[in-house]
Amino acid sequence: MFKNEEMEINLGPQHPSTHGVLRVKLRLDGETVVKCTPIIGYLHRGVEKICENKTYFQGQVWTDRMDYVAAISNNLGWAEGVEKLFGIEVPRRAKYIRTMLTEMNRIASHLLWLATHALDIGAMTVFLYTFREREYLLDLFEAFCGARLTTTAFRIGGLREDLPPGFIKQAQAFQDMFLPCIDEYETLLTENRIWKKRTVGVARLSAEDCIALGVTGPVLRAAGVPYDIRKAFPSAAYAEMDFVIPTRPEADTYARYLVRLEEMRQSHRIIQQCIDGLPEGPVMAKIPKILKSEVNEVYHAIEAPKGELGYYFVGEKGGTMPYRMHVRAPSFVNLQALPKMVEGRLLADVIAAIGTLDVVLGEIDR
Amino acid sequence: MPTMTLTQTLVMGLIQIVAVLILIFVMVPLLTFAERKVIGYVQVRLGATRTAGGHRGLTGALNRGMWAMGKVPVLSIVRGLPVFIADILKLILKEDIIPEKADRAVFTLAPIISVMAAFGVFSAIAFYPGVLFTFPKAFPIVGGLPFMGFISDVNVSLLYIIGLASVGVYGIVLGAWASNSKYPLLGGLRSAAQIVSYEVPLTLSLLVPVVLSGSLNFREMSLRLATGEGMSGLAVFPLAVGFLIYTTCGFAETNRSPFDLPEAENELVAGFHTEYSGMKFGFFYLAEYTNMIVVSTFASGFFLGGYHLLPFGLQRFIPATVPFIGQPSILFFFGKVFFILFVYLWVRATLPRYRYDQLMDVGWKYLIPLTLVNLFVAAMIRYAF
Repeated sequence: MFKNEEMEINLGPQHPSTHGVLRVKLRLDGETVVKCTPIIGYLHRGVEKICENKTYFQGQVWTDRMDYVAAISNNLGWAEGVEKLFGIEVPRRAKYIRTMLTEMNRIASHLLWLATHALDIGAMTVFLYTFREREYLLDLFEAFCGARLTTTAFRIGGLREDLPPGFIKQAQAFQDMFLPCIDEYETLLTENRIWKKRTVGVARLSAEDCIALGVTGPVLRAAGVPYDIRKAFPSAAYAEMDFVIPTRPEADTYARYLVRLEEMRQSHRIIQQCIDGLPEGPVMAKIPKILKSEVNEVYHAIEAPKGELGYYFVGEKGGTMPYRMHVRAPSFVNLQALPKMVEGRLLADVIAAIGTLDVVLGEIDR
Repeated sequence: MPTMTLTQTLVMGLIQIVAVLILIFVMVPLLTFAERKVIGYVQVRLGATRTAGGHRGLTGALNRGMWAMGKVPVLSIVRGLPVFIADILKLILKEDIIPEKADRAVFTLAPIISVMAAFGVFSAIAFYPGVLFTFPKAFPIVGGLPFMGFISDVNVSLLYIIGLASVGVYGIVLGAWASNSKYPLLGGLRSAAQIVSYEVPLTLSLLVPVVLSGSLNFREMSLRLATGEGMSGLAVFPLAVGFLIYTTCGFAETNRSPFDLPEAENELVAGFHTEYSGMKFGFFYLAEYTNMIVVSTFASGFFLGGYHLLPFGLQRFIPATVPFIGQPSILFFFGKVFFILFVYLWVRATLPRYRYDQLMDVGWKYLIPLTLVNLFVAAMIRYAF
């Protein structure tokens, strides 16, 4: 009459907290997770293959659709990767504007992460607060390039247009407003007993495991490894910026929360430096109308909000399109860590772990 | 009270029951509307602002004008009110799906049990300790009879209420099992464990007012606890602690945030009622909100002074000769009920959700020992003074 049986349930692909179409197959013993298998591919569009049939100028549009909450970071990776392939030097002003927008996008992406992560754990009000500020940033993106999410913000060789009039003023208004807002989120969460109970010690992933699994970004930094590509291999104008890499030793969900909040503050600093030190000059380098590559290969990585975002290009002789294009998407690699984080723990921790990894399915499935 | 014939008793009873049912059916939709509004304002948005007509008509023109001036229309505060009618209509009109592999009989029975348990409790709750008004002589059958502030004056009403309220969990568990689906099953299991665990501290915390007032009758307990009749002044401490414990457990009993694990939408989709739709779901919904009102009336009656202004026996400092605030009033009772309901919504908008094992920890490791100590203190005060 009595028998113990493990139950298999599917979390997703249509589930309120799997952030898109992630499907996690869970084997449960009561509420304890025995085995966790993330299943991906529901959003596969073949972006890499498509980009092999587009010119270097056209391909960038597709990068928007990968990590759609941090499209500008994706644009930056593509643009700089192609510039590296062709040896194009970008004007200094363009570099500054690129840096500024990428950091704004980092804040927007982290705000979205905080919103959904808190909502998953049950704190619903933070969601509305962060979206209020994110709206300002999306308005800024719209002012700059006409789009709010799929920005295609940059061009190979620089920018299509200079900043629109009034942009700096609007950006400064955001700067003046934003820091107290972070404190506001912190009053709701940081010392909240329930929040701490749900996050401290949950979904731990040690530095060794992070490195073994290739996990990058805030998850790695929350494990105490100060690896940030903005410092390690600076591109755009990051070499001229003064900022610190926040790290925490605890390697748990709470540490990742604190690291990301601090990253928002550091991004705020970088934006301020970009606004203050914005050089004059052109925003577009002189480049040929048609880019024809030699046999050449390039790997270019930038620090996306989620971790190391790498673009790998192989050019063929005389080709206007990449022979092979591959994206090292941080969400894809970070998701591997999910079983390691949650096996042997409770069902509710799976939700916290998916939230803390900050995965975007558009980027995982590509 | 004049003596009544059998017919008069039955008709009066029916009138009172209908009056309380109307009260429930008015308060529950208003509560859902308040929920939209309160949470909306906490989250710097407006909540429900427009149904039924929206921008058309005279009021629509006023709304449009104020939006155009960049102001929030004054009418928007009440304009969202018809949302609750829309809610109810939607629930009634929706297709009522019973999953193929579900146990049809139990699946249908479960919401009924939930709702019956929630409604039945009201028969022993006294909203006012005496006569609210007397029917004029001209009325047929009931002419000259008093309309009381309660349906029945049971002298062990607390036992009845606690007994009936704990039947509600069967609705949830049976519904979850009968759905024959995995998420409801998990939700049902969580819910059973949670409600059974929290029933203990909840009941124990209600023993404090029982010990101090020496009665099990809702009306008498409430009056004695407010006026501090026959109670030591020290009783305020166990009552205050008991109130906090009771409210916490009440949140857990009604499956509300931060203890809303059975229906944690981010983990279990919708918990035990995932497979329910239409008015069957509506019944669960109704039961949840009715239970919130029940918990609030308890907190109001036993701990916050009920019909008197001041709680915890402090009413003794206001002589009964003072008009209004010295007298019992139904306004005070409902004011406190609304306050507790507001706290429900406030907490929901602010706090994250506990994890299942942590919830059990809070219940068994902290609340139960605390209630026992509290009960002991109350008993000592009762014994010594």
